[in-house]
Amino acid sequence: MVEVLRDKEFLVKEYLETRGLYSHHINSFNAFIDSDLKKIIQQNHSVRSDADPNFYLHFKNVTVGHPQVDDGFNVTRNVTPQECRLRDLTYCAPIYVDIEYVKSGMKYLRKGFIIGRLPIMLRSNRCCLYQKSDAELAKMKECIYDSGGYFIVKGTEKVILMQEQPAKNKILVEKDSNGVPTVQVMSSTVDKKSKTNIIFKKNLIYVCHNALEENIPFVIFMKALGVCSDQLILQMVGTEFAIMNQMYPCFLESSKLNIYTQKQALRFIGDRIKKMGFTSEDYDSRVITEVHDFLSTVILAHIPVTNTNYHMKAIYTSIMVRRLIFSLSNPDLFDSKDYYGNKCLDLPGSFLSLLFDDTFKRFTFELKSVADKNIPKVKATPFDIIKYIRTDTITNALVFAIQTGNWSIKRFRMERHGVTQVLTRLSYLSAIGMMTRVNSQFEKSRKVSGPRSLQPSQFGMLCPSDTPEGEACGLIKNISLLAHVTTESEDDDAVLQLALDLGVEPVGLYSVNDLHEDYMYLIIFNGNIIGSTNKCIDFVEKFRRCRRKGIFSKFISIYISERHKCIYINSGDGRLCRPYIVVENGQPLLTNDHIDDLKRGYCTFQDFIDQSLIEFIDVDEENNCLIAYNEEKIVPETTHMEMAPFSILGICASVIPFPHHNQSPRNTYQCAMGKQAIGTIALNYQHRIDTLQYNLWYTHIPMVHSKAVPMINYDKLPAGQNATIAVMSYSGYDIEDAIILNKASVDRGFGRGGTFRNSKCFLRHYPNQMMDSIQGPIIDNATKKPIYKHRALENDGIAAIGQPVFDKQVTINKATPKTITVEDVGGDRGFKETPLFYKGYDPSYIDKVMITSNSDCFLIKENFRQPRRPEIGDKFSSRHGQKGVVGLIVEQEDMPFNEVGICPDLIMNPHGFPSRMTVGKLIELLAGKAGLLEGKFQDGSAFGGATVTDISNELQKHNYNYLGKDVLYCGIDGRPMEAYIYSGPVFYQRLKHMVADKIHARSRGPRVLLTRQPTEGRSKDGGLRMGEMERDCLIAYGASMLIIERLMLSSDVVEMDVCKLCGLFSYSGWCHMCQKSNSVCRIKMPYACKLLFQELQAMSIVPKISLKKYCD
Amino acid sequence: MITETETPDDAPKKALIYICGACQAENEMKPKDPIRCRECGYRIMYKKRTKRCILLK
Repeated sequence: MVEVLRDKEFLVKEYLETRGLYSHHINSFNAFIDSDLKKIIQQNHSVRSDADPNFYLHFKNVTVGHPQVDDGFNVTRNVTPQECRLRDLTYCAPIYVDIEYVKSGMKYLRKGFIIGRLPIMLRSNRCCLYQKSDAELAKMKECIYDSGGYFIVKGTEKVILMQEQPAKNKILVEKDSNGVPTVQVMSSTVDKKSKTNIIFKKNLIYVCHNALEENIPFVIFMKALGVCSDQLILQMVGTEFAIMNQMYPCFLESSKLNIYTQKQALRFIGDRIKKMGFTSEDYDSRVITEVHDFLSTVILAHIPVTNTNYHMKAIYTSIMVRRLIFSLSNPDLFDSKDYYGNKCLDLPGSFLSLLFDDTFKRFTFELKSVADKNIPKVKATPFDIIKYIRTDTITNALVFAIQTGNWSIKRFRMERHGVTQVLTRLSYLSAIGMMTRVNSQFEKSRKVSGPRSLQPSQFGMLCPSDTPEGEACGLIKNISLLAHVTTESEDDDAVLQLALDLGVEPVGLYSVNDLHEDYMYLIIFNGNIIGSTNKCIDFVEKFRRCRRKGIFSKFISIYISERHKCIYINSGDGRLCRPYIVVENGQPLLTNDHIDDLKRGYCTFQDFIDQSLIEFIDVDEENNCLIAYNEEKIVPETTHMEMAPFSILGICASVIPFPHHNQSPRNTYQCAMGKQAIGTIALNYQHRIDTLQYNLWYTHIPMVHSKAVPMINYDKLPAGQNATIAVMSYSGYDIEDAIILNKASVDRGFGRGGTFRNSKCFLRHYPNQMMDSIQGPIIDNATKKPIYKHRALENDGIAAIGQPVFDKQVTINKATPKTITVEDVGGDRGFKETPLFYKGYDPSYIDKVMITSNSDCFLIKENFRQPRRPEIGDKFSSRHGQKGVVGLIVEQEDMPFNEVGICPDLIMNPHGFPSRMTVGKLIELLAGKAGLLEGKFQDGSAFGGATVTDISNELQKHNYNYLGKDVLYCGIDGRPMEAYIYSGPVFYQRLKHMVADKIHARSRGPRVLLTRQPTEGRSKDGGLRMGEMERDCLIAYGASMLIIERLMLSSDVVEMDVCKLCGLFSYSGWCHMCQKSNSVCRIKMPYACKLLFQELQAMSIVPKISLKKYCD
Repeated sequence: MITETETPDDAPKKALIYICGACQAENEMKPKDPIRCRECGYRIMYKKRTKRCILLK
């Protein structure tokens, strides 16, 4: 019997605390700065000039400093993220390099030269928040629960979302869109990306590549690779009967084409490579070198070739063909693209290194062209390349890309939009939910279900609930609590060496025939064949032991694929993996003692990983593991055990109590809604000046939480309140999911919140030495008080703090000079008013006004606070996808009550339950009630937590009904109700959709200039559209005069003169066509119609109007 | 009849008090003064709460 481990969730807590919830973003950025950046600069370290062979410029020894701001006059100062947010600055740090260069024949060395500024990810190891204590963070006005992992660019917080991509350097056998069996390899190396296909078409096998004009028969391709003997080719692919059968026509074809030697084959391929225009004389030799180049660097680019020795490539292609042929007869052998081991996640670090590589190449290219241009010129001062180094090339490219999200890398012809997104700060949950989001590159419009549906291999890695509804459903995912995304390992050499030490033999040592023997397994390291072994189990066993000993990184995975007869070792970045407790001989290595030590603080989670009591397993390696759900399920073959079952959920789904009792779409709805729930967005919300910030004033910790809630700090920054609800019908204002609120509860602060909005203005300097100014309020002469518009202003022309501002009142009385250009120096010194107005139906209060200066102008930001009490139409929701709007707010006197006088805050209609099957909500209510009576929080963790029996017993203990039902008395007539009412506390969220933001009505109002029709949209005080469908109703009903009224008279009616003879428009009662006035009639028509006629006339099309008496 | 006149431009504008965002020191600033705390050199200033009587309804 296996001892049951107590408090395993404590491991999850420790893990999340030591590693941080969002470490994947931060780790990848750190890896970019610490290694990728250096590699990129090393690869492009020298600039040389064609003009002077002695000239050079070397970049060495790159370092990245700490975030700084330029305060003008070349004064720099360290800066905090909060200052950047407030002052609309970019949080970036200088990149220092040491440069060695030649000036007038002498060698010079400059140390610590700044080549540009790099935006810094918050909480990365270059950020000033790195490893700071809570007190220090508070001093920097930073929230201690903030995730970090984003950038601040010009004051806005930007996240580089994780992107899901097909894994690189993997052999995938598939059917393409036409049903043709294909093996595909996406090769990717540091400087080459290519896609190679081998297809099976009309009983023949071809190699295809974009650089080839037509498909090359496989046999010819092999001959070009130097394998000329047909027998050898066959032996490489395999001598099984099925293979021989399929290969026979291929050999026949190559002999038909008369190709027997490598040279013939090379020439054959050379004739089919795109873009080659050689003259006939040197044709032969140049084509051959070109083909050699193609074979070694373009096709299957990830396999290194030395000195035109294509042996490895030949073996690799033959294995591709072997898999293709086998899958023809056995469809099970086709690979699935959706299998998560065939995917990788691109993290911010890899996006940045792509971008930086490109910009740095451009930067060095620019320097080279400057050198080429300037060295030949004879000048008084010698050419000094330092003077031409512009720091803003790199800075601007990086800042621009992160700001707009447009990643265009010319080298890979990559043009991607929307890579970055603004961090949504609607609520704490929405902000941290964004850090775990995975975006898929798959087209949204395509109607294939494969990429959208949940794949078994995603278990424990991606949240099964958290995905949007609608077009992006299943394409946007969220990673689970424990999932970890690997970053590139530095141990590749160690792994290779170890593999050789463990008895891997290079494939060259075997005859090709032996490779396909049953006992032979190929070893593939990051997509490259490094050798083979005949003791596969033994090898893998030993390799895993070495990993557990810590000889190389814990994140390197190894797994045996029986199907492929391969052992795959992967050390690349972007693989999803997850920690498990190691089980050996039917016993988990981790014991209760370990957990106790962890609780006492004698050891850390990292120690368990170092001791390999806990191990990271990636999606591929899971295939070789038998993972037990808990101690009971351990059998002798078990290799690992789950740490905590609730960790298969993501951040948003962890907030749901008893999610395992809910119908699954309800959990998905809650995941979307939790992000709209208003609450406390961060501890520093008072210091933030966001464009829009929602707040709930009196937030509660949910009565029923899950074990994950404290781990994601949802209990410290909650978004909602525990409302006592009664599940009953009341008044008829509660149909269709509407809820009834208790007015006294609202008065006491239930659902009370507020919004903060900002407005900002810049005071600019202009070329003619003029500057924007702020003017004081205009005083009314009679009353000696400011006029209405300026009533909020103080003497400095900015609204007073604490002052209510109403519609159309000025909050900053800015004035701009009438002339601003250089030519106008000494011209008109007057100002025109360009004030900032407040706009809104309801008044707001000025909460704070911030004044600061940027590099070139003053910046004033105002924050408006608007209190928001719940009102009819505001949206509320519980944590079970049960949303509803307030239908009625009832005086407490009229609300039902029980015998001790408890009165619900909220009444919910029971019709919400049967069809939605949100049993979790029923249990939450029950558990919450028991929690109140016991005075403790209840546990509603997924696949665990309190049981209904326990909860019921607790209720019974406190003399409450076993089933949570109460006798309620009617609030109106005081009689007991005829049914028992299910009542108790449920955590309710107030959602951001509020009537105050949507209320809209208009009678007369603004019109569009062009068509004279009413404007559209609430923000422009637009009209309410009578659309096609409404019009159809009126037509069907026959209310023709009403149609005319709605569509013309109340919209864009215009009176026009029309000549009844020629049918054209006349003006001022005179027809210019007929030169008459007595034929002119005055009619009413829509302005849009008049416009159309005139536009047609402008195109030489004459529409004519024939007039008839209306009633004859 | 209400008539509106502008405050004469040359009348000395009353300097108002602003609070430094870092050290909370009170700084008297005139328009077009550089925004910089005299005590600590911080560049973010906040307006001080008005002394007006504000009635909250």
